[in-house]
Amino acid sequence: MKAEIRGFLRDRGIFGSTGVSATIAGVSFSHVFGAVLVFLLLLEAVSGIALAAFYAPTSTDAWGSVAYLQDQMTLGWFVRGVHAHGASAMVVVLGLHLVQTAVHGAYRKPREVVWWLGIVLMILILGWAVTGYVLRWDQAGFWANKVEIGIAAATPIVGDWIRRIVLGGNDYGNLTLTRFYALHVLVLPIIVGGVAWTHRALSRKLGVTPLGDRERTPRPRWPEQTLRNAIAIALVFAALIAYVVSAHGVGLAAPADPSLPYDARPLWYFRWLFELRDLSGGAEKIVAMIVPAVVIGGLAALPLLDRGKSREPRKRLPYLGGLAALFGAIAALTVASFAADASDDQLAKRSARAEQRAALARKLARDNGVPASGAADVFWTSPMARARSLFAAKCKSCHDAESKDRKGPVIAPGHGDRSWIRGFLRDPSGDEFWGRTKLAKSEAAMRPFSQMPAADFDGIVELIYSESGARDVDPAKRTRGLEMFENACNDCHSLEDGMPGASAPGLGGLGNRAYYLSFLSNPKSALHMGRDKSQMPRFDRELSLADRDALAEYLVWLRTATPTDLAGLDPY
Amino acid sequence: MPDEDRRKLLKVAACAIGGGVGAAVAGPVLTFLVAPAGKTTVTGPSAPLDLGPAEEFRAGAEPRRVDIIAPVVQDAWTAARNVVLGAAWIRRTAPDRLLALSSVCPHLGCAVGWDGQMGNFLCPCHDSRFSPTGDKLTGPSERGMDELPIEVKDGRIQLTWVRYKMGQPNRELA
Repeated sequence: MKAEIRGFLRDRGIFGSTGVSATIAGVSFSHVFGAVLVFLLLLEAVSGIALAAFYAPTSTDAWGSVAYLQDQMTLGWFVRGVHAHGASAMVVVLGLHLVQTAVHGAYRKPREVVWWLGIVLMILILGWAVTGYVLRWDQAGFWANKVEIGIAAATPIVGDWIRRIVLGGNDYGNLTLTRFYALHVLVLPIIVGGVAWTHRALSRKLGVTPLGDRERTPRPRWPEQTLRNAIAIALVFAALIAYVVSAHGVGLAAPADPSLPYDARPLWYFRWLFELRDLSGGAEKIVAMIVPAVVIGGLAALPLLDRGKSREPRKRLPYLGGLAALFGAIAALTVASFAADASDDQLAKRSARAEQRAALARKLARDNGVPASGAADVFWTSPMARARSLFAAKCKSCHDAESKDRKGPVIAPGHGDRSWIRGFLRDPSGDEFWGRTKLAKSEAAMRPFSQMPAADFDGIVELIYSESGARDVDPAKRTRGLEMFENACNDCHSLEDGMPGASAPGLGGLGNRAYYLSFLSNPKSALHMGRDKSQMPRFDRELSLADRDALAEYLVWLRTATPTDLAGLDPY
Repeated sequence: MPDEDRRKLLKVAACAIGGGVGAAVAGPVLTFLVAPAGKTTVTGPSAPLDLGPAEEFRAGAEPRRVDIIAPVVQDAWTAARNVVLGAAWIRRTAPDRLLALSSVCPHLGCAVGWDGQMGNFLCPCHDSRFSPTGDKLTGPSERGMDELPIEVKDGRIQLTWVRYKMGQPNRELA
């Protein structure tokens, strides 16, 4: 039965074919690299298909979907790590494959086309990595891509059209991602698969090239060479897994933000070109194009130049020496590039900040989700982030204790609580209150409460405090305060909501959200400071209602907050 | 070792290593691919939803369709606001009683509509008909329409959005 099935399959060319490819002259570990590359291609395909089941190629969702699969999906970090570092492994093995082929002289007649197809595959695979790096749509991938497209756009005549075709229009956006995604998961797999298949079929047909000129008797490929291939694949895969686990997958920076500078670095296998550009100063764009063209041209020309009788490596030293010099230069430039970064203290500081931002973005994405408006808005999901950033932009210079240009009262945690009110009433024109305002120096300045009996003063403090809507009001004290208000305050102020006082601000709702909203919308209104008494600008024309309300909510929060509470909030 | 035995050993070793590598690839990838099946990837509203004043629903009137809009839905990585989850048919059946029926057809999940001429509910996909109180009349549905918990607080309707499994006679939470 077993023999019949085998026979059936063999007759149909499916299994156990006989012919040149079934034997190999020179069973050796030096011939495993092609098989390892086939394995790595399949590994990229399998892990890539799994990632595609989670990924969303839109500018609002791409980062969020990657962060989600990385941080919240079982083994997502591992599959993504295997996919990204697997590409690195492929570049390393590709280099080894190239060196082995050159040392064996396997590019020589009749195998020139196999060699050329190999070079095409190398270029395609490096380009494939570029199309993958941008998909994460984080700062790292986004800015690296900007530089790469910038170089491509410098191509004479057609450059700008290349840029527009690749980006899908004039600028980065949804169409950029859909295009790179289509290239990465459809176009390149098909092309690379086709070229790789041809490369492998031709090399099988022509057989491998043993080292040196000595003839070797052909031996069956299966299982002699296959076992060596399997061992090599297992070793490479084990090393890859060890690396992925030790590095906990692959990084993810903060969401792409065109407004925020980032130290863009290409993938490590392009670092030698990056360094070369750096060294070449003004000629960088030419260097970035011409050097790769020269390198590829040189590699492609090898079979045409190296045509001597012997395949012995020591008789082909000029060519192998040239290749060694090329790889040596690439290695030296790569090391120099990483060394330059490692010794740059300023860069280290910027990188540390970028990493903090990335960690915050991923924490917020995990806790609060990414807003539908886009991944960059994830920072606004941090508590009162909007208000705090508005405060820093619009209020800080006049109201922060540290500000040199402070023009108004200090606004800090505890603003509007009992002790703040107490301090204000004792000395309204004190430095941390109105001391720096025009009003403090004018006749209209409020007079301090100094000679009032302690119980009466406490009552007034409690009354003013109760206007904020705080829940912990002492009703007896407040009642006492109301009596005192009639005597001491009512001539100038009013306690009714929305009512200005006779000659001073209305105090109705002082310190609650509606009050703050109304105040910062228009401090100069008759209800509040009045036209002439305040230098504070009105914000109703400058900020949206939602923004002003966010600030009002923040001011209410500050009343019960401590400096530790404020410092404990996520940065925005 | 005779050559035949040696080759057999090499074959077994090659297959074992190949199988091991294959399993090491397939295991994590399949775990990752299947992981969402065991998670709540889309969250619904946890609290009852406010659907407006109850007085707008008068006794004797036809049922009215009200959209169910969740203030926040966590959909995998996205936190989306004001997401339409479905609709409810609401009708006053007695002066002090409101009836809310999910518009999700218990058969295969199409949206059930009100047939004003016939005075009953009709699912457009497979012609299941339901009485104004949601009882099954004709068609392939195996049970009547699903009632949703509804109550009136301070004159406003509070409705709890629930999804049940489809295509079975008994009502079971989905």
